[in-house]
This record gives sequence, C-alpha cells and structure tokens, in this order.
Amino acid sequence: MKKLLLAFLLLSALSILADRAQAQVLVIANPAVKASDVSKSELRDVFTGATSSLKSGAQVIPVLLKQGAAHNQFLADYVGKSDSTFRAGWRSLVFSGQASMPKSFDTESAVVEFVAHTADAIGYISKATPHEGAKVLSVR
Amino acid sequence: MRPVNSLLIGAFALATGSALCAGQGSEDIQIHGFATQGFVVSNGNNYLGMGTRSGSPAWTEAAININDQVENKLRVGVQIHYTRLGTFGGDNVSVDWALGDYRVKPWLGLRAGKVKIRWGLFNDTQDYDPGYLWALLPESIYGVDIRATNLSQLGAEVYGKTSLGRKRGRLSYSGYYGYYFFASDDGYMALFNASGYTFPKPPGGKTPGFDLRWDTPLPGLQLGGSLMLYNADGSMTNGSYRMPVTFWPTYYAQWNIKKVFASAQYTKLVQYQTFSVTDAVPSTSGSDTRAWFVMGGYHFTDKFQAGAYYTHDLQPSGGDDSNPANFYKDWVGSGRFDFNSNFYMKLEGHLMDGNLVGFYSFDNPNGFKPRTGLLVAKIGFTF
Repeated sequence: MKKLLLAFLLLSALSILADRAQAQVLVIANPAVKASDVSKSELRDVFTGATSSLKSGAQVIPVLLKQGAAHNQFLADYVGKSDSTFRAGWRSLVFSGQASMPKSFDTESAVVEFVAHTADAIGYISKATPHEGAKVLSVR
Repeated sequence: MRPVNSLLIGAFALATGSALCAGQGSEDIQIHGFATQGFVVSNGNNYLGMGTRSGSPAWTEAAININDQVENKLRVGVQIHYTRLGTFGGDNVSVDWALGDYRVKPWLGLRAGKVKIRWGLFNDTQDYDPGYLWALLPESIYGVDIRATNLSQLGAEVYGKTSLGRKRGRLSYSGYYGYYFFASDDGYMALFNASGYTFPKPPGGKTPGFDLRWDTPLPGLQLGGSLMLYNADGSMTNGSYRMPVTFWPTYYAQWNIKKVFASAQYTKLVQYQTFSVTDAVPSTSGSDTRAWFVMGGYHFTDKFQAGAYYTHDLQPSGGDDSNPANFYKDWVGSGRFDFNSNFYMKLEGHLMDGNLVGFYSFDNPNGFKPRTGLLVAKIGFTF
C-alpha cells in the first residue's frame, strides 16, 4: 500500500514538474529596448494597456500570440487573467476609442520575427523556441 | 445633424479613409465589432420605453469600428453604433467616435474629432455591452435610455499617464473641451416632447471637463474623480431653451484583484433649465439629484462570472423623499457565461423601488406602481 502511495506521489510530482517545464515562457524584446529585465507588474501593465513604457523609461509595444500553451501560461503567470478576460479588457479600450489591439500572431516564430525587426517590440514565446535577433528579458 | 458635427465627422472619415488607402499593409488595419440582443420582462411597470410587462425583445445594439495605427505615435479610427431600445434609438446609426490620436509620450497624448468622454467608471465604455458583467448598468448614473447625449464630444482631449514613483502608484488623466448635442431620439427628448416642447434641431452646447484616476500602491485599487461641465441652448418651435453651465462631478473607486472585482461611484447633479415660450412667462425648473452604487463580482471559472449591485438615486428637490417619483432603488443579481472569447450570454434580475429614472408615462398611461421586478436576458457576439 505504501509503495503504491509513494508511486502515486512520485508520478504526481513528475507530472507537475513536466507541466511547469513545458509551459515555461521567455519574454523577448527588440535589441534596441533599453532594458535587460522586467518585473511582473511591468509586464501586467504593458500587456493590459495600462502603460506603454517600462520603469526604465523604455517605450515598448506589446505583441501577442493568438492562442496556445505559451500564450495561456504567459497570461496566467504574468498578467493574472484568463484569455477571455484579457481580450475583454483590450476590447473595452478599442471600443471606447482609446487604443487599437496589439498585433497578434499565429506562431511563435512570427512573434520572434516581428520583435527582432521592430523597434520597441516586446513579446513572449516558449522557452524552446529559437529567438535569434531578439533579446531575452529576465523577469524579476 | 449640425453642420459642425457633419464637417468634423466628414473630415475624420476622410482622414481615416486616406490613411487606410495610403499603401499600408492590411495588417495595420483592424476591424472590430459587436452585436447584442436583449429580452426584458417585468411586473409592476413598463420600463425603459419598452412594453416589458408583456415581455419585450426590443433591445438591439451593434457597433463596428475601424482602426489604423498609421505609425507608432499616430492612430486614426471611427466607430459606428446602432441602438434600438424600445422607442429610443432607432433605425439610424450614429458615429460613436471618429478621431485622430497622437501619443507624443506615455504622459502626453492628443485626441481630436468626436471623442468619447471619460467620466466615472463607465461613461466611455457603457455602450460596449461585452465589456462588463451587467446587462444593465446602474440606471441611477448610467441611464441606458439617456446615455447617447453625453457619450462623446466634438473637440479635443489631452491625456496621459505618469508614474508617481515605486511606492506611490500611477496617475492617469484626461482633460477635454468640445461641443455636444442632445441625442434626437433618447429619453431627454422624450421627456421634452411629453411636456409639449418640440425642438426642430436638438439643443446643444459646450462641454469641457476632466478625469483623474490614481492607481494606488495597493494592488488592484484605483481611486478617481471626474468633472463634466455643460450648458445648452436651443430653439423650440414656439420659443427657446437654455440651460446655464452645469457642473457634474463624480467620485469612484474600483478594486480588481485575481478573480474578485468591486467598485463604487457617487455623483451629485444640480441642474436648471429655462423654457421661454412665445407670449408666456419663461418657465425655469431645477433639480438636485444624488446617486450612487456599490457593486461586486467574482470569476468562478474562465467562462462564468457572477455578481450583484445596489444603486440608489434620490431627488431631494422633489420635496418628499418618500414619494416614489423622487427616488429609485435597485437590487441587482447578475450572471454571465462566455461560450468562448466571441460569444456570451447574460441573465440578470432587478428588484426596483421608486420611479425616478427609467420610467415613462407614455408607456405607463395609468400611472406608476411603486415597485417593479425585472428580468433581463441577453446574448451577444464580439470580435
């Protein structure tokens, strides 16, 4: 019985660790963005449209993934919203004439391509995705 | 439509069209829209110009907007809105906003054209139904039957956001100056018409104002205040109409943290208007109303949220606070289910006491009953 319980706990732990490892996201930015790290609250503010600059003074343009594991994990870890709540917030800004929606892409490689070639762009991808041309911002 | 209105809207439609055609890729242009259909049933009284006692589906709204981020700092856009709410609104669409937006820095931006007015928690978003949980916002402050008049102004807005330092939070501000006109087909005009005052063209005037909101260091807590000023002049078929400068202040707070959201707002409005009918002594009337609400809700899952609010509107100038004609109280419970990020439905119940706002004699010809129960169901789509 004890062995069974131990095996169950071990499997559960491995499953959780595997999920975490798979879901890890990287925050990437155009190399011209004058910052090497960013706080969770800065990410939340930038990606909800509350601000368009980091505390370092660097102006940034958020870029989104349309869907997928990296997108959901980014929202859960750094924005604290579900996808529908997140989009509802942006749409309120759009329909009140205050902003347009951030650019969003189908694939992570398209996010990397855009961020690498667009001054001030900031986005997110899975850890495993190649990100040549973009720099990685560490999250405080 | 007034000439200045037509000119500005035409100019910005042209600007928008030009920008859209200026050789930019389609990825720079965004089109969004929404549509909702409501069904309302009540006991006691008919409500909001609809025959709700026998059940009414006469509540349809839709909007479509087009935005072009011409370059990093410059955006142009326009939104067309359609509302039919019983006898209000109608078959015509209106320009909700049509603007150019130049953001020099995060702390300084300029919008010009027909621009939404930031006032309180919901003024600029109240006609975007998918943006909130409630089927009906608190009628005491955000009357859906009279909202069209003060939604937008024709003029300019200066806005921005600035950090107050790591421990002091952030300040958002908006100051504006422009013109507005009474909506020709909303509750204000219905009340004028019911009193025998007919306007060939809706009255209008100037509307300066500002909004200030502070994101406090306490996570998710925002405090704010707004002041809208307006006056109005107009010609009636048999005389003239004048409203001197009116101050409309409001104070509010909202708290959003994780799955919980809560907010409250208070406003006081003192307003006078004079009707000068040919060959008669001018008639001046005044009103003094105070209104507030508290609301809260919870996201039970990604798809389902529910909440409740209470709102109270009192008109002390009526002289008798116990007369249902001088107050309005509403207890509300609401639920919303999002099928996905595009489709949703809402179900909401109201227990109303008093008739100060939202009730009209033309669809309650036998007089008002003091209490009204109401059930609202809505389905909607947004993209």
